[in-house]
Amino acid sequence: MSSQTPIESLPPRLVSQIVSLPDGFRTLSKASTLQEMGTRFLTLAGEALRGATMSILHLPVSANGWVALAGNGTHPGADLLRVPSQDTTTLCTLDQDRKTIVAVQRLVDGSHVGVVTSAASGSETFSPVDTGSLQLSLHLFDAAFQAMRTRLNEKDLVFSLNHRILQLNSLIDTGIEVARLDQAGSLQQLALERAVSLTNASRGMVEIFAGDSLRERLVFPPGDNRATAPGQGLQIASSFTFGEQSYQFSLFEKESRRGILPFEGTDQLLLDALARQVHASLENRYLLQQRLEKQRMEQDLAVAASIQQRILPEKLPVISGYDIAGINIPSKSVGGDYYDCIPLPDGRYALVIADVAGKGIPAALLVSSLHAYLSAFLANQVPLVELVRRLNRAMAQASTDDKFITAFFGILSPATGEMESVNAGHTPSYLLRNDHSIHELNAGGIPLGMLDLDLPIESEQVTIRPGERLLLYTDGVTEATNEESVLFDTAVPLRDFVARQKPHTATIFIDELVAGIKSFTGQAPQNDDITALYLLRS
Amino acid sequence: MEQQFSLTSEIRGNCLVITTSGYVNNVGGEAIAKEFNAHFPGKTKFVVINLRDSRVVNSIGMSFLIDIIEQLEEAGGKLVFTDLDPAVEKMLTIMGLFKFAGKEQGVEQALATLAQLR
Repeated sequence: MSSQTPIESLPPRLVSQIVSLPDGFRTLSKASTLQEMGTRFLTLAGEALRGATMSILHLPVSANGWVALAGNGTHPGADLLRVPSQDTTTLCTLDQDRKTIVAVQRLVDGSHVGVVTSAASGSETFSPVDTGSLQLSLHLFDAAFQAMRTRLNEKDLVFSLNHRILQLNSLIDTGIEVARLDQAGSLQQLALERAVSLTNASRGMVEIFAGDSLRERLVFPPGDNRATAPGQGLQIASSFTFGEQSYQFSLFEKESRRGILPFEGTDQLLLDALARQVHASLENRYLLQQRLEKQRMEQDLAVAASIQQRILPEKLPVISGYDIAGINIPSKSVGGDYYDCIPLPDGRYALVIADVAGKGIPAALLVSSLHAYLSAFLANQVPLVELVRRLNRAMAQASTDDKFITAFFGILSPATGEMESVNAGHTPSYLLRNDHSIHELNAGGIPLGMLDLDLPIESEQVTIRPGERLLLYTDGVTEATNEESVLFDTAVPLRDFVARQKPHTATIFIDELVAGIKSFTGQAPQNDDITALYLLRS
Repeated sequence: MEQQFSLTSEIRGNCLVITTSGYVNNVGGEAIAKEFNAHFPGKTKFVVINLRDSRVVNSIGMSFLIDIIEQLEEAGGKLVFTDLDPAVEKMLTIMGLFKFAGKEQGVEQALATLAQLR
């Protein structure tokens, strides 16, 4: 047997209220806060109670007192409210003169909501139907409160999931962006802004240290240079070292709508990941710069090699009664060796060999200058000692302090075999006499360009007789090293090597010299240019 | 350059146009919501938020923007964002704001869009 009351037997006002329950539920449950729900409740319940004065209050769990949510009048309030016993969810009382209804409803989260209602005017009184109506409204409030909580929880969950997706997406995007940025400072600023934003930090900074001293500080938002947070857990940091510098990323004061919160573990993971991206980008940038620098050096070397090759003779002149041959084997890192045999207008020949201190484009350019000046002075038939003096001055002005040229110059009169020579700090040239003795041609002065002073320059006169030979060479020959770092001239003194060779032609001698050096050095890398000029009088 | 948060607002027709500058975080979001609540409900239900000078937005700031969108949605109104930095636009997209709010290149385009709804 059912104990339920048929709806037809209820007072029409309650029936009407029951019919409109779905609308009331929708209205209440759309609220975003308990306060907003309280305000909406007053409108709904007030209509049902014919414009009564009403206050709605809330007693949170573990709170000491009631908190007003909304009200539309002045009347006794919180002191009338009593929390119902554990087995009751609603307590609704009508006072003796029927002027006030006090109702308390336990909500789904264990808190309570209370309503104090006063009749609209002095003559109005409440009836038990009004009490029932208010009780019904409070049940509706509880149901709507539960729905609002579920909706807000779902909203929080969706928001939280979207935020996680956003964090992952931004992490990927930031990695790509920092890899593209040209300026190191920009990539650190970008990573800082992303870290602040993705962790909901109030602010952040990047500090770059060289040893213990602060080199640079980037902050976000701009102008906020505070380096500490006002409490434990309100600051996180991540750091790395690259080269001589250490980088520290710091974030401060995680925000929420309820105030500042301690950072979470995922915030630290995010900050670490962003710092790692900056670290990787700095490393990649460094490696790229090194690769570009290597490419630039290789291009420089190619240019230097090109300059050097252009000034070396394609072929040597034919000198009646003489056989002449030369060789230049450039090392991997281009040096500044030079040799030539230049016919002069009066039938003589200038024999020259030179070696610039240093390598690369500067050395190649200096050799190029030497070649140009030498050609000009020879064309003007400047006497040899004066020619060397002028070359010294020109090279001193054309070169830096650490650049100079050692050189040997000989002016050969082919008909007589007479030769005037000047040795400007170069390795001694060898004149191999028919009696197997070797005359070293050393007379001269200091290397060209070393000092811009008119220091004495000596020359010497020799005669190359038929059958005698002249060898000019650079230190790339004597200082060629084998895999045990032994010098060619130490193991096989060049004087002895030259004395042993009895070639029929100059070309054969040069080939044997090169073969001898290669045989000695084996697989050891060639560190310097190998250059030689050999003259044989028939 | 991103500065501490500030905003300006004006009424254009019956639209509220809010222009922000700086980090849209808790402080920035609250300031936007306060400005919005000074005009809604009552004066307008069409809002343009110009984020030209706000390149950084966090999720707390976004939650205030979502509240505004929800309130306007319930009232049959509309919010349109303009002048979005690509990174901010992507953030708002991922967070689902453009399911209910619009986006336009500039304020004038946004006002034209909202005029069609009025």
